[in-house]
Amino acid sequence: MKRVLTRSLLTWFLAAAFFVGLGYFVVRLVTNAEDWAQLPMNGHLSASGLGTAGTIYDRKGVVLAESVDGERVYNSDPRIRAAVLHTVGDDSTSIATSVQSVYRNDLVGYSFLLGMGLPESFRSTSDITLTIDAEACAAAYDVMAANNYKGAVVVYNYKTGEIICKVSTPTYDPNSPPKIEEGDDTYEGVYLDKVLSAAYPPGSTFKLITAAAAIETIPDSPARYLYCEGGTIIGGEYVTCVEPHGEIDMREAMADSCNIYFAELAVELGSDTMTKYANAFGFNKSFSMGHNDLKKSSYDVSKADTAALAWSGVGQYTDLANPMHMAMICSAIANGGSPTNPYLIKDVSSFFKIGDIKAGISGENGDKMMKSATANKLADMMRYTVSDHYGDSMFGNLHVATKTGTAEVGDGKEDGWIVGFVTDEDVPLAFAVCIENGGFGISSAAPVAKAALEASAQALNN
Amino acid sequence: MEGFLGFVFDLAVVILRVLIPLLAVILITQIYSSLRHNRRNERPLIMLLDEDENRAIPVLYWENSIGRSKFSDIYINDPAVSREHAVLLRRDDGWIISDVDSKSGVFVNDEKIEGRTHVYLNDKLRLGTTTFRIKRTEEFSGRTRRSWFFFADGKSGVSQVMLIVLLTVFQFLMTCETCLTAKALETGVIDLSPFMWFGLLAGLSWAAYLITSLVFKRVNFEIETLALLLTSIGVILSVHQSARQTLVQYVSAAAGIVLFEFMIKFLEDPDRIGRHAKWVYIASLGLLAINLIFGKTQYGAANWITIAGISVQPSEIVKIGFLMVGAASLDRLQTKRNLFEFLVFSALCVGALALMGDFGTALIFFATFLLISFMRSGDFKTLILAVSSAVFASTIVLRFKPYILERFQAWRHCFDEPYVWDTGFQQARTLIYCASGGLFGVGIGNGCCKQIFASESDIVIGIVCEEMGLIISIALAVSIGALVFYARAITTRSRSTFYSISACCAAGLLVVQLSLNIFGATDILPLTGVTFPFISAGGSSMVSCWGLFAFIKAADERTYAIKKAGLFASADK
Repeated sequence: MKRVLTRSLLTWFLAAAFFVGLGYFVVRLVTNAEDWAQLPMNGHLSASGLGTAGTIYDRKGVVLAESVDGERVYNSDPRIRAAVLHTVGDDSTSIATSVQSVYRNDLVGYSFLLGMGLPESFRSTSDITLTIDAEACAAAYDVMAANNYKGAVVVYNYKTGEIICKVSTPTYDPNSPPKIEEGDDTYEGVYLDKVLSAAYPPGSTFKLITAAAAIETIPDSPARYLYCEGGTIIGGEYVTCVEPHGEIDMREAMADSCNIYFAELAVELGSDTMTKYANAFGFNKSFSMGHNDLKKSSYDVSKADTAALAWSGVGQYTDLANPMHMAMICSAIANGGSPTNPYLIKDVSSFFKIGDIKAGISGENGDKMMKSATANKLADMMRYTVSDHYGDSMFGNLHVATKTGTAEVGDGKEDGWIVGFVTDEDVPLAFAVCIENGGFGISSAAPVAKAALEASAQALNN
Repeated sequence: MEGFLGFVFDLAVVILRVLIPLLAVILITQIYSSLRHNRRNERPLIMLLDEDENRAIPVLYWENSIGRSKFSDIYINDPAVSREHAVLLRRDDGWIISDVDSKSGVFVNDEKIEGRTHVYLNDKLRLGTTTFRIKRTEEFSGRTRRSWFFFADGKSGVSQVMLIVLLTVFQFLMTCETCLTAKALETGVIDLSPFMWFGLLAGLSWAAYLITSLVFKRVNFEIETLALLLTSIGVILSVHQSARQTLVQYVSAAAGIVLFEFMIKFLEDPDRIGRHAKWVYIASLGLLAINLIFGKTQYGAANWITIAGISVQPSEIVKIGFLMVGAASLDRLQTKRNLFEFLVFSALCVGALALMGDFGTALIFFATFLLISFMRSGDFKTLILAVSSAVFASTIVLRFKPYILERFQAWRHCFDEPYVWDTGFQQARTLIYCASGGLFGVGIGNGCCKQIFASESDIVIGIVCEEMGLIISIALAVSIGALVFYARAITTRSRSTFYSISACCAAGLLVVQLSLNIFGATDILPLTGVTFPFISAGGSSMVSCWGLFAFIKAADERTYAIKKAGLFASADK
């Protein structure tokens, strides 16, 4: 019988395989439960999946979404509904970065520990208060909608990190999500929150980075004068400027957005230095905001020839910038070199809190992007751009420092950018606006920025 | 219900949700604790005294191989002895020696024997040039090893009445939760009819207990308690699904218990099957043949036959016959080393099941065949040969019928389009509902998984996990998986290799089946559609599982302990 005992060891292999499999099942279930439980085919979810979910408020307590009698109800103002769609989300999880997608489990009070079947008295749904201001979002959205603009707007408090205004278009009404046909351009990128998840060629707004690199590297910068005759040959390729600017220093070049000045600086600095400063400013780096990752901005001149390097210095070539990231760069300039990390979740209320939604609440300083002196010089130039060139009336009562940009995106199309910050002490707002195919940033993006800033300033004052 | 009363009921539900898995875990722990306690010391039963060399060889087992092979239970270093010479067996009517085709023969009191021959105390055994005298064990003072599985202290574990009391409490709490569904709490209308099933289940459990202890005079009830626990869960979970199913489960559980008791009785003589193997072969193959000819394709597999309105799955019953003819006593294993008959039988069974399209059951049979043939022969070559020919055969089949693979395309992709709407539908829903249940479940009767096709059988783990939670699901799975350790621990204590082999292989079969069920439903393995022992709906499966448990029960020497009192009594105390 001893022999049978030895041979019966074979059954242990079966048992071992079984227990390993069981362990795998448990691990896989526990790690994926939150995703699986929220799939729309789950019969425990109401038709919308959010029928018993908590309320989402804006910073002033305006209800953006709530559940009434098993139905998800959004704000009654269609402007606000469309403006905050990408921030709040709709019934589906199509907009992956929205609060209703990312924090769905918290909103409906689900955790794997307790499952979905807690009796009424014990259910703990979370209410979420956001940092955004519904009216500020709607104000920016109105201008976008009136002009049929597609693009991204973000305004945030560069001292605290609270995002005040955040709009992505095209958008839709969450009360009646569109059925999108294949190849329908109207809704191209509609499920993308472009503030967080898009990256565009930065065009002239990138000159801020080239300028910073030059200020910190080249001894006679930014005072050095260069001559712009409206175009020149760099590396065998003709680099154009909007107009001949003549003999100009950096401040004037920034205000006039002279391509020649910054293209020649980029070539002089060389690809290594340019890359070093772009990286310091957060290009090629992943930023996360709460539980979302920002689309990475990129700057890569490893394969660039001289002409390409020149173009890269003025935000063309393969450069890409994420709007939220550009606003963070502006916050660093306003803050003396370090950006304030933006955040969206102001508060979460719930009785039994399991999970770490609060990890989304931050406002700390990010890694230093530039020296404090550099930041002050850039801030002066950006302010000079408005006070001397555009005129302060452009932003109503606010005193703003900006850099505009017009980025060529091919096929003769140009994206219009404006980035910057408000210099008024009590209105610490940094912003970035990018209008797809908007042409000159000053004419397309600036009016959107004005509306967004004015409404955001109002929101701060209340 | 609203207000304070509503809160009280809500609180009760929450307490029940936690208490039920807790009680299940306690019950399962107690069952195994009892299995590990209460063992006699593994002392020698008798001794063989080698008078020439004046040494005593302890006879430790009920069946002992004697030979020149180092792996023999009784090893004789004598060139005149064959490697496998004889087997010394203990039966109810005394000790028997059996010559297993040795070259020089076995002599009892100087007479050459043929076949099995009774031997008695002080008889003289001669094998080759070695002579033994059979002695009592009093004179022996060696130590013997024990399995890690058993507690060393010799203390008795939890009393068997306690097990059945715990089981009754569990059934009661489960029934309470069944009544307190979310709908009942909302409307305030509580349907108490499930308590009928509680009464019936508790009645069945106690009846089984009282009959085994009072009529059959068996002391232990652990294996039955485990089976009753699983059965109760299956029956009560089905209350909210279909009244007919509950009835079928209950009636077949009762039938299963009858089969269980019958098999314990029938298997009492481990040689009985050996004498009737032919009939088992014929009956098993006959059943499968009838199935092949008359079976109707239902849900992809033609593994059903319907007689007078009752659907039967013959393959479930054949499992029992398969183990019966697969196992054998030690002397039979050594005289009939040839596996040919069993090999052909296995190939026919697996082939018939594959033809029916029941690949899951075919795989179970194949795995069991591997276990049995290895435990009989210890031959890795047979194992490798069988696996490679099976792989070869499957390749050929898939070459000519490639569409079979389409059934398994969703494997590992059950959430992807388009599988999530067709072949991966059940697996994706199972996972979603497992996730929805959390650790303690959404409550019996509150689940959505039961609306999914085949939820009561193939993906029943989804219902258990959703309505009762992950803790109890894992506890139940482990309780069946751990049978393998129990079955192996009692291998050398069994009254015959017939029991050791059949018990180990029955436990192995159940684990393979459970793996296919749980891992198939949860997209870890391809979904093949086999049942969760005792819990999945299906009368044939229920009866068959009780039958498989009977093999495990029979292997425990305590099962027949009452019968052996008085025979060489000193060996047993």
